[in-house]
Amino acid sequence: MRVPLGWLRDYVELPADPGAVAQMLALLGFPVASIETRPIITGVIAGRIAELGKHPNADRLQVGRIDVGDGAPLTIATAATNVAAGQTIAVATIGARLPQLTIERRKMRGLESEGMMISAEELALPAEWFEDGIMQFEESLRPGTDVVECFRLGEAVLDVEVTSNRVDAMSVIGLARELAAYQNVALRAPDLSNPGDGAGGPKAEVTIESPDCRRFVSQIFTSVKSGPSPAWMRIRLALAGQRPINRLVDISNYVMLETAQPLHFYDAAKIPNHHLIVRDARAGERFVALDGSEHELTPQALVIASETSAECLAGLMGARSSEVTGATRELILESANFSGPRIRRTAGQLGFRTEASSRHEKSLAPALTAVGAARAAQLLAQSGATPHEPAAFGPPLSAPEPIDFKISDVKRLLGYELDLQAITERLDGLGFKVEPQADSVLRVVSPAWRTDVTCSADVIEEIARMAGYDRISSEIPAVRAHDIASGDYRRERKAAATLAALGYREIVTYSLHGAHVYEKIRRAGLEPPVRPVEVQNPLSEDQRYLRHSLGPAMVTHLARANAPARAFEIGHIFYTEDRQPLETSMAFFAFSAEPHDEPEWRDSHFLRAKGDCEAFLRAMTGESHFETAADEREGFHPGKTGVVLMGGREIAVVGQVDPRLLRTFEAPLPIYACRMILSTLPPYDVPQFKPPSKFPSTYRDLALVCDIDLPAQRLENALRSAAGSWCTAVAAFDEYRGAQVPAGKKSIAIRLTLQKPDSTITDAEADAVIEKAVAALSSQFGVTLRA
Amino acid sequence: MHVDEHLEQLRARFEDALKNSAGASSLDAVRVAFLGRSGEVTALRRSIGKLPPAERPAAGQRINEAVEKMERALNDAQASAQALAVGASLSQRIDVTFPSIPPQQGSIHPMKRVMHDVCAYFERHGFAVVVGPEIEPDYYNFDALNIPPDHPAREGFDSFFLTPNLLLRPHTSPMQIRTMQQHRPPVAVVVPGTCYRRDAVDARHLYQFNQCEGLLVDEGVHMGHLKGMLTGMCREIFGSEQQVRFRPSYFPFTEPSAEVDTTCPLCRGAGGECRMCGGSGWIELGGAGMVHPNVLRNVDYDPEIYSGWAFGFGVERMALVRYDVDDIRRFFENDDAFLEQLA
Repeated sequence: MRVPLGWLRDYVELPADPGAVAQMLALLGFPVASIETRPIITGVIAGRIAELGKHPNADRLQVGRIDVGDGAPLTIATAATNVAAGQTIAVATIGARLPQLTIERRKMRGLESEGMMISAEELALPAEWFEDGIMQFEESLRPGTDVVECFRLGEAVLDVEVTSNRVDAMSVIGLARELAAYQNVALRAPDLSNPGDGAGGPKAEVTIESPDCRRFVSQIFTSVKSGPSPAWMRIRLALAGQRPINRLVDISNYVMLETAQPLHFYDAAKIPNHHLIVRDARAGERFVALDGSEHELTPQALVIASETSAECLAGLMGARSSEVTGATRELILESANFSGPRIRRTAGQLGFRTEASSRHEKSLAPALTAVGAARAAQLLAQSGATPHEPAAFGPPLSAPEPIDFKISDVKRLLGYELDLQAITERLDGLGFKVEPQADSVLRVVSPAWRTDVTCSADVIEEIARMAGYDRISSEIPAVRAHDIASGDYRRERKAAATLAALGYREIVTYSLHGAHVYEKIRRAGLEPPVRPVEVQNPLSEDQRYLRHSLGPAMVTHLARANAPARAFEIGHIFYTEDRQPLETSMAFFAFSAEPHDEPEWRDSHFLRAKGDCEAFLRAMTGESHFETAADEREGFHPGKTGVVLMGGREIAVVGQVDPRLLRTFEAPLPIYACRMILSTLPPYDVPQFKPPSKFPSTYRDLALVCDIDLPAQRLENALRSAAGSWCTAVAAFDEYRGAQVPAGKKSIAIRLTLQKPDSTITDAEADAVIEKAVAALSSQFGVTLRA
Repeated sequence: MHVDEHLEQLRARFEDALKNSAGASSLDAVRVAFLGRSGEVTALRRSIGKLPPAERPAAGQRINEAVEKMERALNDAQASAQALAVGASLSQRIDVTFPSIPPQQGSIHPMKRVMHDVCAYFERHGFAVVVGPEIEPDYYNFDALNIPPDHPAREGFDSFFLTPNLLLRPHTSPMQIRTMQQHRPPVAVVVPGTCYRRDAVDARHLYQFNQCEGLLVDEGVHMGHLKGMLTGMCREIFGSEQQVRFRPSYFPFTEPSAEVDTTCPLCRGAGGECRMCGGSGWIELGGAGMVHPNVLRNVDYDPEIYSGWAFGFGVERMALVRYDVDDIRRFFENDDAFLEQLA
């Protein structure tokens, strides 16, 4: 909310420095987003045009003699056409400083001009909101008055942020009250009595048909004069960011900015019987608002209607049909209170927001209706209109519920003590009534404009704000023991630390993506997920779906680098099960690598990936031996993929990323990847130490010829069990396929390590074990020793 | 030939070999040739068998003596060869300024590192770290947190909906409720995690971000404890001189509520022309406050007995300040230069 500092100063004493005011507001909970300082303007005064005539040497110029109070009148030439004798205008005198220029004595077509008649734009006001040509003032402005000082044109404008619970402070008076209470000075509120009170006269009847209208004050004004507002009001509105329109509209806007209560004025001549009805809109009812926008309404909208048609979209904007105009002589004022949620929903549905709705939707206090009406009546009366008796409709105003709170709660929640007197003083300035009760309990009654203070904690916040949040000390709590575990988080952190130690770089990618990911999967000849989790209201099509895997983002990431790279990500993935969107935490690591020159039945990159996977799983589970089975998994190469098993259960998939995907994701290098669902990993099982034998071990390397599709792991396992307890390690280390073995066969080199626990193993013992093991393999798989 | 003669010749050959050997490896060869399992001494020992039994002990002893001498000579030679080699290596001069050979090293993402550091700080003070789902129903996101439907504060949480009442959490606060539902006080947790809001993207805002939530509920917990813990956290993350400032604010789930600022680490609070804090000398971290009594009631905690505080800070925002990063999007772009510099 734009708040001209000069306006605030009307109601509260403030430090000269706008920064100091902003600081105070921030400490009260109203941060100032920006301070707009005004350009320095000097030497501009009000002048009355005593005489005006043609310039002797120029058809387009006029020359005026301007009365500027003290001293001789000034002779000033102007090209403006909106000037006439008798007007009071803005005059920049010789030496005056304007934003763009400094006024000097100069000749205009041979005639010396002793200054310049200036426009609103030259006073750094929005030109399009003011009259073309020279800025006009009221006759009542004494010639010679310093314009900048009089209208506080030099004062900064603060852009104040008001939290949604403090709609009462979306107003100049509301903020002034806060600043007054904080500084412990008086609030100089304007006269808020209604001059129509006791005046009698015509009344506008209001029928309220909806409970969502909680209060409606109507008041009739006669002898209304339209025309432009006085300069002070136009300038103030413009500085506040509100375009001045005419005297009547300006008053309604001015009162809203000052009191927070939005108003609406109807041309009384357009309202038959001066009867207004608050009702639900009819389905399909058409409404043309003041700003010319057209709306087709549903019963969701609340309208204020005459007996024939909707004349105001409640809380949003009036209708063009009963708009006040230059011809308006009588008006009906509406100062009403509506249900915040109702206005908010309507505004959302119509996509139509106004200054009024931004206040109504935060649920204004019903008591403000009388305040808004009174202030408007004051201003209308000042402008010459005749106020009549206001009439209030709707349920009677309920007194605010008193709040009992324990003084000791101040210490309990804020950590410092305040005594009764300090508490009372602080609440008093904000308009709260405080009555001490027995047992150190205070009964607090909120002021009528505050609907946000409903419980003891709310009162404590008010006290804390006034005492200053700086009073809160810094203490380290002694946290008592509890039984809440950090399991899942620790697992994720350990997974990340392990993968980083294995040489992978952590990345963080977006969870939302567009259909292009599925398009790439489809172009690879593969099936995208059948029921992806979809966002109903995405910001753009590029963020419609929740990722089903960390794979696509990883491949995209690695594809971007032209050189081999290693990366990992840990994050949630999303899927649908029984129509429920579900999620789980996945770890995904991958590297890209230049292809090796290897036969097609060998891929050492895969073995490296598997090695990293096993090292990772070992760190996570404490287990050191894992079985891998060849298998096919979506997204992976059908012949270069294994699932890693623990206790027969799949815990990880490791393999080369499907080359068809690499093509559609434009990855220049092969990528090897491993993925696992972190929650399926068994918990870490602490390994137990077995003292190694003190006696030397021996080994035998065997070259075994076997069927070409027999996995090495099966040979290893068979050898291990056949070799018995002396066998401490079995590992295949080489493979050969080719002319030197029969067709359909391969040769696998395996090293068997043997060690006895109680003595040195002899060659004969070792040979006997090997012989037995080879015999077992031979009968199981038809394996022979390679010659 | 007599054993002595053999020994004499052997010793002569051994000394020749020793003299001609250079360096440790050739000394090893000499040892193998003379003293090894199938070396000359072994051959000579075997020849003892051919001697009359009475002469054998004396011959054996002489051989042993000879072997001892040879071993001593070899050891001496070896020692001096090693000394020579060490001496030679000492004269080596390399260019130590040549670029190092880097290890294959991974790294933790800078945002995650901040997250881990925040969690570690709270863990040290007795907090548990809990994580929760990113898809949450209305109830946990709003209702239980004292934000009923149509509450204007819901606007600040412009959320992505998956179904009419399931959404991507716009904050980590649902875990406050889940944790308190499962445990009685004392409750001390931090909740790191990804959140989503329909915010327009710019250098400071993203529709996806990470939050770190903190919650402490017990008897006698007050706002000073909040300030104390947050001051400690800021000193851990940004530097040992950090100060923390509270400003009043409004969140439906806390009362009193505060915006938390910390001294700008770049200008150290001096302000002026500081590009990081815009001259205020302070950096906004996020919201905090005392848990609203309605929230406590929603999980069956008696607000007359228990009090607590909560905070929720953006992790990228903290990382932005800690590493002086110009644009929040960098945390999701994974540009190698970025990750490398902050590895």
